[in-house]
Amino acid sequence: MIEVSDLTVRFGGVTSLDGMSVTFESGTCGLIGPNGAGKTTFFNVLSGFVRPGSGSVKAFDENLLAMPHFRRARWGLRRTFQTEQAIENLTVYENVAMIHEHSRLSSSTRQDDVLGAISIVGLDDVTNTRVATLGAGQRRLVEVARAIVGKPKLVLLDEPAAGLPEAETSHLGEIIRGIPEHTGAMTILVDHDMSLVSSCCQNTAVLDFGKMIASGPTAEVLRNEQVVRAYLGAEEAA
Amino acid sequence: MASTAQLTSEARPTSPPSAPPRLERGFWMRAAIIAVAVLLVIIVLPQILSLYYVDAMTQVAVYAVVALGLGVLVGRVGLISLGQAAVLAIGAWVAARLLFATSLPYEVVLLASGVITMLLGTIVGLPALRMRGLYLALITLMLAGAITVVLASLNFPNGGHGFSGYNGALLHIPPLRRPGIAQTDPAYFRYSVVVAAVMFVLVLFHVRTKPGRAWAAIRQSEPAALAAGINTTMYKLWAFALASFVTGVAGGVLAGAVRYLYSIDFQTQDSITLLAVVLMGGAYSIWGAIVAGLLLQLLPAILNDIGVSPDWLVILFGIGVLQVLTTAPTGIVDQMPKDIARLARFIGGLARRSSTAKEPAP
Amino acid sequence: MHPLIHLALSLPSWQDEQPFLVTGLALGGVYALSGVGMIVLFRTTGVLNLSFGAVGAFGALIAWQLINKSGMNQWLAYLICVLFGGVITLAYGMVFGPALARRDALVKTTATLGLTLILLGVMDLLWTSNGGMSRSISLPTDNHGFILGQIQVTTTDVIALAVGVVITVVTTLFLRYSKLGTAMRAMANDREITATLGVPVRRVEAAAWFGCGIVAGLSGILLADLVALDATTLTFLVISSLAAALIARLSSIWVTFLAAIIIGVVDAAITPITSLTNYRDMTPFVLAAVALLFLNRRRTLSLARQEF
Repeated sequence: MIEVSDLTVRFGGVTSLDGMSVTFESGTCGLIGPNGAGKTTFFNVLSGFVRPGSGSVKAFDENLLAMPHFRRARWGLRRTFQTEQAIENLTVYENVAMIHEHSRLSSSTRQDDVLGAISIVGLDDVTNTRVATLGAGQRRLVEVARAIVGKPKLVLLDEPAAGLPEAETSHLGEIIRGIPEHTGAMTILVDHDMSLVSSCCQNTAVLDFGKMIASGPTAEVLRNEQVVRAYLGAEEAA
Repeated sequence: MASTAQLTSEARPTSPPSAPPRLERGFWMRAAIIAVAVLLVIIVLPQILSLYYVDAMTQVAVYAVVALGLGVLVGRVGLISLGQAAVLAIGAWVAARLLFATSLPYEVVLLASGVITMLLGTIVGLPALRMRGLYLALITLMLAGAITVVLASLNFPNGGHGFSGYNGALLHIPPLRRPGIAQTDPAYFRYSVVVAAVMFVLVLFHVRTKPGRAWAAIRQSEPAALAAGINTTMYKLWAFALASFVTGVAGGVLAGAVRYLYSIDFQTQDSITLLAVVLMGGAYSIWGAIVAGLLLQLLPAILNDIGVSPDWLVILFGIGVLQVLTTAPTGIVDQMPKDIARLARFIGGLARRSSTAKEPAP
Repeated sequence: MHPLIHLALSLPSWQDEQPFLVTGLALGGVYALSGVGMIVLFRTTGVLNLSFGAVGAFGALIAWQLINKSGMNQWLAYLICVLFGGVITLAYGMVFGPALARRDALVKTTATLGLTLILLGVMDLLWTSNGGMSRSISLPTDNHGFILGQIQVTTTDVIALAVGVVITVVTTLFLRYSKLGTAMRAMANDREITATLGVPVRRVEAAAWFGCGIVAGLSGILLADLVALDATTLTFLVISSLAAALIARLSSIWVTFLAAIIIGVVDAAITPITSLTNYRDMTPFVLAAVALLFLNRRRTLSLARQEF
């Protein structure tokens, strides 16, 4: 369970998160909102790249914000980035094993864990291939494998389906739906593809201009008038 | 739920995927290649080269190690240091001081100068690592300037007493001693190459294992590295420590190679030239360091031999930096095979065209 | 305690310090001139021009050659030196500016070391330092001056400090009120967006390169007069200005000015202290390192990919 209360982040004059309070209960949760709503900023707060002006984040009863950023991975926080961040000069195996290496997880199970994660995302054929030679879709899967290897507690997926063709998106959806069963981790999914969000997430929260405007079961939230207005504002008015 | 079940069955392959070996096969391959190359070099070169060139090749060995250290910083981690020649001077100074003050075996002196230089380099690196790349480059440039100043006033030990070990009034300055097994120039050349090879293997080992992978992650994206749980500050510091260590050892080898050290021989400009040849040789490649060493030490020796001013080399290095940065960021080692392949394709294309042209039209 | 007592005993009197303070202020003025020149170019193009000192040295050597070997009128020779600085820097900027425009600031800055090496090589070829022959440039203003209290102040000293003050004031006004200055400030913010606003980006950059080169030529002559006419010395005197620019975190023109003056004065003030005099040239490094340690405590992570 992730309890976020009164989280505020300001960059100069811009308020990216404005008193954000929300509780992500369990399983896979969606976080949606129009561009610039503050979703990535929220992830950056969780990762420790951005220090919030005020507010607190409690993750499984631990004060996440008090942890040094590189130690959060060791604790079990994993994430993917909007811009591809799989390391090009290393193989798929090395990319995934890196998380394991730096998380103080037992090295005796490393190989099995890493190969397991690679096989969950379906990259078995390219285990020992350098990432530089892979396509965009496969690189995205490498990142997902990095996020689920070992024993993650909280997985943050930042627009994993952006720019992927439909077939790859649906493959990705299957993998995301499998995360709770394979790892037992909680997942927060940010994406603009509503069909992906609604097929993966039981609950969804909606950010708009740094404020939470709705949260609850995904289907209900997506029918919420305020949410529809925030998303379609201009078209609705026309 | 159904889709999840389907996923599980789909995701578990019938045959287990190939497990990669713990330490890449490439590492042992390369270590073996290095061993063979070293043997060839130390047996053949002293036989066919004049003493002048043997001495030049000793310098090549020294500077290849310095370039190797800088290559770790530039190529692996993405940090630019403009003060590496100053670090070499520190290593040489420490070694010279120990050689005069003690009768320790030469290998111990080398190790000690590596370790002391590493400590100093790390202390300097510590604050610098909090800064972004450009600031780090500039602060190391200033540091190089500062060390040049200190050396000019402190001087290299010449057998005197006290902390500095320098006595300006000394009439007979004793040469620095060499290891017992390497008294002559050819023998010292062999000794230098072996030490250099050990440093290469040390760096190669780092690059191929956990720190190397962490550096690759840091170079590509610091946030992603942090998100992967990598203590980026620690690994950057590690790179600094490793680079300083091998450079310090190189300084120790240099001390025995020249036997008389003068502060005038270590200038701020050398650090810049060093970066230039490392970029030209190819900072990404271990072999680029050898190319850098050859550019920096063998080429001037050849020019000197045939009576051409070495100033031309400085100009060449300047052009080289601009060329590498604008067109071939991977350096000569990576670029040459591509250029040769392109040339071969071009010649092949010409040959084919001429052969088709020769075919008589029906 | 012993070294400290020794230091205290060897401290020079205020009387002895005064002439060095004058030198320090003069040098500080030139460092400010160079520092501001580098910062304006950096803000506009993202290039920290490390060839600044080498360009000035080359210009000063050309002036020396014209005066002493061709018998040219001094002022004309100095003008040629300043123009040389502008032209060579502009030429570099026009060729390599666009080629590296999209690269990281670190790459752009490293590339200027290429120009530095080329200039150093050519200088060593053309003006060999063999034979112990020393060259010097002496501005006519060295022989004019006045007595302040008990110390001799030359007009050159006054000019040096004045150019530092003038460039700081003029650059601040220029960036704030002129059309070109506004364009430069906009480009410091975002080159692409500025281009879409219809600002002739290339021309603005050309102006910055040329201006930076002019300033380099001017600094070259002044430093050749105040310090020494030597290729290596002048090339690496850039470190002092660089330290000032760094203390200003490569952005504030006024902080650069103040830092440059402090560096010049501290460096000179240490000169009469016998136990420290040999180490005085470490001043820029020490001040910059201390300043950076305190100023750079908070850092933000950049999501940009590192080059190299």
